[in-house]
Amino acid sequence: MKQFRSMTYPYVLWIAAMIVLPMLLIVLYAFTESGNDVLTFRFTLENFARFVTDSVFLAVLWRSLYIALITTVICVLLGYPIAYVIAQLGERANTIMILLITMPTWVNMLVRTYAWMGILQDEGVLNTFLGFFGVGPVPMIHTSFAVILGMVYNFIPFMILQIHTSLDKMDKNLLNAAADLGADKAHAFLRVTLPLSLPGVISGITLVFLPAVSSFFIPKLLGGGQYVLVGNVIESQFLTSGDWNFGSAISMIMAVIIMISMYFTRKADVSVASGGKE
Amino acid sequence: MTERGKNGAGGKIILALTLLFFYFPIFYIIVFSFNDSRSLTKFGGFSLRWYEKMFADSTMMEAVLYTVLIAVLATVISTVAGTITAIGLSKSSRVLSAIVERVNDLPVMNPDIVTAISLLMFFSVLAARKGFGTMLLAHIMFCIPYVMLSVTPKLRSLDPNLIEAAMDLGATPFQALTRVIVPQIRPGIISGALIAFTMSFDDFVISYFTTGNGVNNISILVYTMSKRVNPSINALSTIVILLIPIALGVVNIVPIVRERSAAKGTAKPLNRKATAVVAAILAAAIAGMAAAGSGAQRRRQQEAVEKYGSSVLKLYLPGEYLGEDVISNFETQYGVSVIVENFDSNEMMYTKLQAGDSYDVLIPSDYMIERLINGDYLQPLDKSLIPNLDNLADAVVGLDYDPDGTYSVPYFWGSVGLVYNHENVDPAVMEAEGWDILHDVDYAGRIYIYDSERDSFMMAFKALGYSMNTDDPAEIEAAYEWLRQMNNTMFPIYVTDEVIDSMINGYQDIAVVYSGDATVILDENEDMSFFMPDEGTNIWSDAMIIPKNAENPLLAHEFINYMLTYEAAFDNSETVGYASPNAEVLEEMSTQEDLYAENEAYLPRSDGEMDEMFHDNVTLQRELSKYWIRVKAEN
Repeated sequence: MKQFRSMTYPYVLWIAAMIVLPMLLIVLYAFTESGNDVLTFRFTLENFARFVTDSVFLAVLWRSLYIALITTVICVLLGYPIAYVIAQLGERANTIMILLITMPTWVNMLVRTYAWMGILQDEGVLNTFLGFFGVGPVPMIHTSFAVILGMVYNFIPFMILQIHTSLDKMDKNLLNAAADLGADKAHAFLRVTLPLSLPGVISGITLVFLPAVSSFFIPKLLGGGQYVLVGNVIESQFLTSGDWNFGSAISMIMAVIIMISMYFTRKADVSVASGGKE
Repeated sequence: MTERGKNGAGGKIILALTLLFFYFPIFYIIVFSFNDSRSLTKFGGFSLRWYEKMFADSTMMEAVLYTVLIAVLATVISTVAGTITAIGLSKSSRVLSAIVERVNDLPVMNPDIVTAISLLMFFSVLAARKGFGTMLLAHIMFCIPYVMLSVTPKLRSLDPNLIEAAMDLGATPFQALTRVIVPQIRPGIISGALIAFTMSFDDFVISYFTTGNGVNNISILVYTMSKRVNPSINALSTIVILLIPIALGVVNIVPIVRERSAAKGTAKPLNRKATAVVAAILAAAIAGMAAAGSGAQRRRQQEAVEKYGSSVLKLYLPGEYLGEDVISNFETQYGVSVIVENFDSNEMMYTKLQAGDSYDVLIPSDYMIERLINGDYLQPLDKSLIPNLDNLADAVVGLDYDPDGTYSVPYFWGSVGLVYNHENVDPAVMEAEGWDILHDVDYAGRIYIYDSERDSFMMAFKALGYSMNTDDPAEIEAAYEWLRQMNNTMFPIYVTDEVIDSMINGYQDIAVVYSGDATVILDENEDMSFFMPDEGTNIWSDAMIIPKNAENPLLAHEFINYMLTYEAAFDNSETVGYASPNAEVLEEMSTQEDLYAENEAYLPRSDGEMDEMFHDNVTLQRELSKYWIRVKAEN
């Protein structure tokens, strides 16, 4: 299939120009001192040292990874059954459900988060509703519950889409074959459907975990600013204190950590996938 | 397909709950778009005023068009390019595909601001003219990885023998591609396209830094224009959520119906036709908007070009900072058009300026003007072109950052203070304790703190009796301890603009607020009062300046002069709620009862002995920023 390989080349050039080159500018900032507008580059590792030696920044990074991980796990646990149920629908119902799930994401994220702020207030809709049953008011806004709820709400559509894609148009003959060979439903699911849908789950994890680590509007608005995440720190370096060098260094450290964790996730995927074939 | 359509009751419940979860906030947004009051969270009666405001606002309608146009183009291009590349990559060496995958992860995982800054610098190096083109390129850049992430898993589960079989049977590679591969991976392509569309539609940060020349999308409006409470964003969201299904209906449902009546095969061409029609309508609408304008207007425009050299003024200022009719009046009076762009913080503006973006008039704050003067970014004003300088109030003449007014003309001024609910907080206690009320555990858990190192350290320095411009390490350390104690004993909620809505609703009892925002809060909730502690506070001023690289300095002078007129200054101050630099307007606003006479937040004090303005000190600010992160994150 060598004919197809050449189809990759234009994109390689494109990412070289549009992703790699601009990113090199960030790398340059990370390794230099401030005041580089004058084009005199002074190489330094100080930006990295400052991050690694300060326990607060490490705590912030750890917390971001932790919240992103929880969000991702919840998205998989909730997203898989939802995607599975949708995939069982007839073709048109299927399309309509997928559209219905995507459409809310076309309302601006800030506007949606504002709506959650209103819903979760002590005097908000949810607590008023609970009040009818004599419950509450339950404190929800500015808690980790609110932050995670907001994150799951924002990211779960991507997880559902990815898992649904891998379940949709799956070769049903495989399931029939499994049934013919005496597998019951649960067995067929565990041995056939689940392994075949894993690439979709991995894609979904990528789409949820990666942006969740650096998200910052949601923790800021729903967490009341007490959930300082690495995205907030990077943002403030660029937009408040104007320390591009330090901001670049933090984002590089974060990128490396995420890349390592994604490497292992994908490796697990490859070994499962090839294990299934052999 | 025998397996399809067999969900039990459990499945139906899951679907119902899913839809409830997804649409609950959306329903909430729709309900509040009809809210008569300004609040985003409390309902004050039915009204269509936000819809009227939205449709009357041409920048909003323009932004909708740009958003849709960019999202459609970016989605189509990135879906095609991403699919082709993913297919090619599945047949390429492992090393190449691993490298491309890693690089693709970068825009997905980097915080938007990092991608945005990298592209901003990149486009500046190329000296590209920022606007529609650069924004579209950026969107295609970050959309393709999402498409590839969706398509690749589907390709991996594809049986390679299928393609070989097809080619053995005489299919050309192109036929194998379009007839065998693409149909098999179609679900992946569709979900990739959906995600790309979402990402493009919802993007703010990257769009903000890669666009220019008045090209805005909805997100930019939401984040910068609707900085302060502006429910027309709810109206806009409602329109979006109602319009998209209709648009999709045209593209999707029609083919399904046709397919049914006309057997088969007609779906695809029609699909394309429908897409083409939608695109053509959008293009025509934008072209129409650009060409709009009557003959009389064009003649005036001609005059303006002769007089000033150009009839376009580029204005860059904070969001929600203009009187309702100021810009349109200026445009008709002088036969020019004004491109308005907004920023969320002085630093955001500085970043764009550093990257070489050009504007005719900027409206930053005092300390930033100091930085711009020192960095040689500004041109001295020709005062003979601004006769209305005579209208300036005494309080705004001769301010520290530009004592002789060489470079700047004040636009608004104000203070920072405490808004409090006088039903729950005794005014006598408030006046006795001043900033230290933020240490009074009687009010623990009931305070909002403005999330900015600048303002937080200001209160701490003032509470301790220091200058807010101090760079004495011992004083900084003491202020840090003051803030830390506040954080650990008072459990404050850190907020920015959402504080306006929250205080209007009276969710908490005390908040640190800018005077203009306080004016709005006091106007909407009569239980609220405003207090400026005697220990001193920040008195600030935002002012109009003309940068060196302005393309139209003559018109810029004309604009500055116009903003000092009674009509413009009155409209600005009445709408926004900040104190006017125009002496006559200031006097009227602060003495007439139907204006702001009874609103104690409107008029900043000019006799506070301990009050100060900020001076620019970049190193100090970086230092404080690190302390501030520590205050909030260390527990």
